[in-house]
Amino acid sequence: MRGNQMEQIKLFQWINMVSFAVNDITLYLDTHPTDQNAIAYFNHFRQMRTKALAEYEQLYGPLTIDSAMPEDKWLWSTQPMPWEGGFC
Amino acid sequence: MWNYEKRLQYPVNITQTNPQIAQVIISQFGGPDGELAASMRYLSQRYTMPYKEVSGLLTDIGTEECARCCYP
Repeated sequence: MRGNQMEQIKLFQWINMVSFAVNDITLYLDTHPTDQNAIAYFNHFRQMRTKALAEYEQLYGPLTIDSAMPEDKWLWSTQPMPWEGGFC
Repeated sequence: MWNYEKRLQYPVNITQTNPQIAQVIISQFGGPDGELAASMRYLSQRYTMPYKEVSGLLTDIGTEECARCCYP
């Protein structure tokens, strides 16, 4: 169980990392819309973020509504927010 | 138009409570020159910004400021 939670925290931190990269390059691209290197950077990290969010959803529950794929229970509203004991 | 994630952009781990610091933070958040006011300023200024690149940037920055609801 403990080892399992370590894995969850690791994946969560990875999501934080790639999400920050996506966020940051988004602001840059807003004012530099034709920078090819930045576009490649965006596509790379956006793909990693989507993949990581889907993996997290499958194992632990959804972090975004777009990655939510409920089977028999709606977890979006029942799982804790970051300040209620969720991760941050 | 907006969406939220069950995740903070930057980790917050409070180890001990401190009412004095809390008072400063809550004012930085919702006070006269706080983050909430800033977010609304960005989002309303975007409408009169003549450059597309910059109005897009103001939208994204205003959105980001709104996220401070969860981590002032």
